[in-house]
Amino acid sequence: MESQSGVAAIRSYIDKMPSLPTTVSKILEICNDPNTSPADLNRVISLDPVLMGKVMKLINSAYYGITQEVTSLVRAIIMLGINTVKNLALSTAVLGNLGSQKDFKALNMEGFWRHSLCVGVTSKLIAKKRKINPMILEEYFMSGLLHDLGKIPLNNVVSDRYLKAMSICDKQHVTLYKAEREAAALDHCDVGRYIMETWKLGAEVTDAVAFHHTAEGYGGASKDIVFTVTMANYFANTFEIGFAGDRYPEKPDETVFKFLGVTLDYLEEIADTVSNEIEKARVFLKTGD
Amino acid sequence: MKIKLWGVRGSIPCPGADTVEFGGNTSSLELRFGERLVIIDAGSGIRPLGDYLMRHDLPKGPIKTELFISHTHWDHIMGFPFFTPIFIPGTKLSIYGPVTYEEEGLDRIIGDQLTYRYFPVKRSELAAELKFFPLRESTMDLGDGIRLTTKYLNHPILCLGYRFEHEGKVFCTSFDHEPFRNVFPTNPDDPNYDRTAAEEGERVAAEENEKILQFYQGCDLLIHDSQYTRKEYLDSRLGWGHTSYEDAINAAHKAEVKRLVLFHHDPLRTDRQLRDFEQTFREQIAGKTKLEIWIAREGMEFEL
Repeated sequence: MESQSGVAAIRSYIDKMPSLPTTVSKILEICNDPNTSPADLNRVISLDPVLMGKVMKLINSAYYGITQEVTSLVRAIIMLGINTVKNLALSTAVLGNLGSQKDFKALNMEGFWRHSLCVGVTSKLIAKKRKINPMILEEYFMSGLLHDLGKIPLNNVVSDRYLKAMSICDKQHVTLYKAEREAAALDHCDVGRYIMETWKLGAEVTDAVAFHHTAEGYGGASKDIVFTVTMANYFANTFEIGFAGDRYPEKPDETVFKFLGVTLDYLEEIADTVSNEIEKARVFLKTGD
Repeated sequence: MKIKLWGVRGSIPCPGADTVEFGGNTSSLELRFGERLVIIDAGSGIRPLGDYLMRHDLPKGPIKTELFISHTHWDHIMGFPFFTPIFIPGTKLSIYGPVTYEEEGLDRIIGDQLTYRYFPVKRSELAAELKFFPLRESTMDLGDGIRLTTKYLNHPILCLGYRFEHEGKVFCTSFDHEPFRNVFPTNPDDPNYDRTAAEEGERVAAEENEKILQFYQGCDLLIHDSQYTRKEYLDSRLGWGHTSYEDAINAAHKAEVKRLVLFHHDPLRTDRQLRDFEQTFREQIAGKTKLEIWIAREGMEFEL
């Protein structure tokens, strides 16, 4: 009974999450289209004043060091080129929707973001190594970045139960999603799936988010991305890059390693690259305040 | 300030009977402020420059220099592994250049040409001390009375123009660069037409081009991208990040530049064509401007 009302509260929270799902999915579509015109990009960003503000803030950040202020998106596209603005918009659109420190209770925001970025960056690296179509690499990044998003409503709406889940983890040495089920009757993969469906981010991203702890039983059409995110998550947890609450992660099934052709040695090799990429991506976090 | 051109070609080195006079090496320039050496770009022209430094500079002591990269497209960095001073113990090389955020750092972009898959020596095996510094749009004091201003140009990746000022003389580079233009449709019949964007795009392009002119303003020598003729540019090269001869000459004239060197020749351009262009453009501007123009030739030297 109590769990049921928890589920309803979580659904209601997700429905009100400060997201603009049309913009996010449209940005994703536009960023994956090499033929996007400057007019398309201008239009889609301008649709969302919050996103627009964040993109402009980023363009004017010290990162580009442009000596005069860039005051319009049209100017940014003319000056910096469509590809740069596309990348800024994509990252900002996604990261801008994810709450600030005051919303984080059981989880530590800094650690959560580092973990999420790590899984995003690593998913993209594994996809590159496996020669996945470069046109869809951003989807790998996005899936990795968002894979744990379901933890946010759990953490914010039923925070008492979430603290309990974490304490179950610590006492019983079990992985977090199993403890979540015990404490809150649903886990972050279920919640994440619901967010992805609400945001209409597409079947591949949704499956990656929903199955990143249960990949071995996955029978859908997006095995590549689901397995990749599973492996990247395992990497982030094992190498302790960031921390999103899973102190006792389960090693993915051998079939996942085999399917991807990835070894532990390879994961060790890419650790430095991942850290560098995270540092670069962190510039976007500064736009979230 | 002395300037010597070691590579003047764009895109890819092009040796052969048609490029003997103007040269086939890609972008690399030597700047001297007295004995102090600064290099711009590490295209294939940096190889003969390195050989010259081995003969001329090394006998006087270890080579210590700064290399400023305009941008990291291959024709501007490909000579780096063949720059002999990097193999000499005692060489100190500081490398500066712009980096777009989603790329690797400069050390990886330039230095990773020295990996076994491309080259028989690895970067970690080099005897020289290399330091890499990402550069933005800014003004720097390089010491010895040298002031450097950098300016973002219009190219498909972040690309910097350099303006060196020393003892009252000014030397400027602008490659690779295309004049800023409005990329938004201005025809109301176009389905993508948006009046606000169209009008603002016009204004922004004009303002950005004005800033570029300010960057060149009054310089004694400007070395400028001129990969295409105006016809080639308008027919099929819009957005490729390069300037036409005509636009480069007009910009230099407007900015009251004293001497203009047209640079970054298209690989297909022959010596004969380049000679003809030089003569034609000189005739066209004669009596209309104080500007003097040259087509860049490998080995050309200027003293300011």
